[in-house]
Amino acid sequence: MTNQPPPQPGSVPPPPSQPGSVPPPPSQPGSVPPPPSAPPPGAIPASAVVVVERVSKWFGDVVAVSDVSFYLQPGVTALLGPNGAGKSTTLRMIAGLAPTSRGDIRVLGGDPRTDASVRGAIGLVSQQEQLFAEQRAVEFVELAAILSGVTNPREAARSALRSVDLDPEDTRSIRTYSKGMRQRVKVAQALVHEPELLLLDEPLTGLDPRQRLAMTEMIQRLGAEGTCVVVSSHVLEEVERLGSNVLVIAQGRLAAQGDFHDIRSLMDNRPHRIRVRTTDSRVLGAALVTYGGVSGVELVSSSELLVDTNDVALFRKRIAPTARYAETPLLEVHPLDDDLESVFKYLVGR
Amino acid sequence: MTPSPSATIPAMIQRIVPAIATRGRLLSMLAFGFIPVILGVLINRANSEGRGNEVEPTELLDAFTLTIYVPLVVLIFASATLGTLKEERTLVYFWLRPIGRWQIVLAALASAWLVLIPLISIPTVAFAAVVGNGRDIAGGVLSALAGVLAYGAVFTLFGLLTRRALVWGLVYILVWEGFVGGLSQTAGRLSVRNYTRSLLGEITNVRILDDPESIATVIIVTAGIVIASVGLTTLLLNRMEVD
Ligand SMILES: Nc1ncnc2c1ncn2[C@@H]1O[C@H](COP(=O)(O)OP(=O)(O)OP(=O)(O)O)[C@@H](O)[C@H]1O
Ligand SMILES: [Mg+2]
Repeated sequence: MTNQPPPQPGSVPPPPSQPGSVPPPPSQPGSVPPPPSAPPPGAIPASAVVVVERVSKWFGDVVAVSDVSFYLQPGVTALLGPNGAGKSTTLRMIAGLAPTSRGDIRVLGGDPRTDASVRGAIGLVSQQEQLFAEQRAVEFVELAAILSGVTNPREAARSALRSVDLDPEDTRSIRTYSKGMRQRVKVAQALVHEPELLLLDEPLTGLDPRQRLAMTEMIQRLGAEGTCVVVSSHVLEEVERLGSNVLVIAQGRLAAQGDFHDIRSLMDNRPHRIRVRTTDSRVLGAALVTYGGVSGVELVSSSELLVDTNDVALFRKRIAPTARYAETPLLEVHPLDDDLESVFKYLVGR
Repeated sequence: MTPSPSATIPAMIQRIVPAIATRGRLLSMLAFGFIPVILGVLINRANSEGRGNEVEPTELLDAFTLTIYVPLVVLIFASATLGTLKEERTLVYFWLRPIGRWQIVLAALASAWLVLIPLISIPTVAFAAVVGNGRDIAGGVLSALAGVLAYGAVFTLFGLLTRRALVWGLVYILVWEGFVGGLSQTAGRLSVRNYTRSLLGEITNVRILDDPESIATVIIVTAGIVIASVGLTTLLLNRMEVD
C-alpha cells in the first residue's frame, strides 16, 4: 500500500483491493440496513465490506455470540451493547483473530483468518492494553507500517501519529505514556496502512473529553472518506455522537439494527418504570392516570408511587404540570430502569 | 502491497531480541557458563600438583556443556520468543499483518539464535581451552552450536505450545533426553543430545557413544529438526486463537 495523503472529505472513496469487484458507493446517510435476520444471499450488496452469516461463537459452555448475521458497508457502524454482550468477540472474529464456532465471515470477499491480502486491508484496535512498551511510539507504529508493506514506513508512522495528536519526535518510551496516549498509539498503528476496514474496540475509553471529541471527528472523517469503520461501545451517548448506523448486540444476539434515531426511539418507546415521591401520592397518582400519559400507577406509601409508562418523552413533558395542577409538589422523580442493562434486556426479550 | 520478508523479518527481530535478552537473563546465564571454567582452572591446578585424576576433556564438555548448559540456556531464551509475545498479548501486532506466518517463526528463531550464539560460544570456548586443546575447542563449540540450532527450533515451538514451556522443556531435557534416551537406542535417536554428542566425539576422536552418528547425519538431522519445528510452529500459529 502506498502512503498517499488521505483523500479530502466528500471525495470518492478508494476502490476495494479486490480486482473485478464493484467499487463501493459512499455510504448513504439514512439508508436502512437489512433486518437482523439472515439476509437472502442475493440481498447482500456488492459494496458490503464485511458479511457475517449465521455466526456463533462459544467458549466451552459460554455462548459469546449466537447466530448473528449482518453486513457492513463503507461508513461508520457502531456495535452497541452492555458488558459481556459479545462485541469484542464479534470484532475479533471479523479480524480473523478467532475462528467462528459456526457460520461464515467474509471480509472483502475473503477469509480474514487465512487470506493475507485481506489481513492487509484490516486495521484493529483491540480492547486489550498491551503494546511494545519499551519502544518509542514512532518505532512501534513504524513496525506496523513495515509489516504492512507501506512504502515509506517512517514517514507513514509520523503522519499516523500526528493524526491522533501525538508527537512523532517524542523520545520517551511508550511505557511512560498515559492510558489515553497509549490508546491513541494503538489507533495510529491501526491506521498507518490506510485500511479499508477499521475495527475499533471501545476506542474512546481512557480519553479525556477533548480527545474523545477529536477521536470522534476522526472516525467520522474516515467513514465519510469511504473507510468501513466499526466502533464498539457500551455507552449510548458515544454512539449518539457518532451519528452512525447501529447494531445493538446483547447476550450474544443481534437485538436491533438501524440508524441512531431508530434505536433511540426503540429505547424510548419501551415500558419505563419511574419512582415518584411527593406529598400526597394518592392525589398525584390519580392525576397522572388522567393526564400524565402513564399506563399504570402503584402506590407504595402515602408519599411514594411507582409509575409505568410506554412513552417516556410524553411522561417527562407532563409530570411537572400535572403535579402543579394536583398541588402535590414533586420531591423526587427517579427512573428505575434507565440503565443500559435493562434497555438491552427489553430489546432482547422483545 | 505484500511486504518483502527481507524487510519484515529484520524488523521483527529488532523487536524480539531486546524482549528476550534482558540483562538479568544474560548475566545469570553467562555466570552459569563460567562456573565450569573456574572448576576447570581448579582441576588443572590440582593436576599440576599431582593430586588429581586425569579427566578426559571431551567427557567434561559432554557432561556439562552438551547435557546441561546448552539445552537449559537455549530453553530459557528460545521459549521466550513467541512465548512472551503470546503471554503479553502482543503477538497480534505481528499476526494480523499481511505476512506469511512462517516469517514470524523465522524471526523468532533467528532472534533466539542471534542471542544464543555468542552467549553460548564464549563460555564454551573458555571451558574447552582451560580443560583441553584446540580439537576440544572446535568440538565443544561446533557441537554446542548444533545444539543451539536444534534446541532453539524445538523450544521456540514449546513457547507457543504451552504457557509452561520452561516446565515441559525441563521435563524433555531431564526425563526424555537424560533418562529415557539412555534406555533404548530408538529413544536416543529421538534426542537432540544424541547428535550433539556424536558431533563432539567425531571431532575430538573420543568415544563417548557406543554407536555415534556420522557428521553428515548430524548435519542432516539438525536441518531436519529445524525445518520440522518451523513447519509445526507455523501451522500452530495459523490455527491458533489470538488475543
Ligand atoms: N477467551 C474467552 N474464553 C472464555 N470466555 C470468553 C472469552 N472471550 C469472551 N468470553 C465470554 O464471552 C462473552 C462475550 O465477551 P465479549 O468480550 O465479546 O463481550 P463484550 O461485549 O466485548 O464485553 P465488554 O463490554 O466487557 O468488553 C462473555 O461472557 C465473556 O466472558
Ligand atoms: Mg469487549
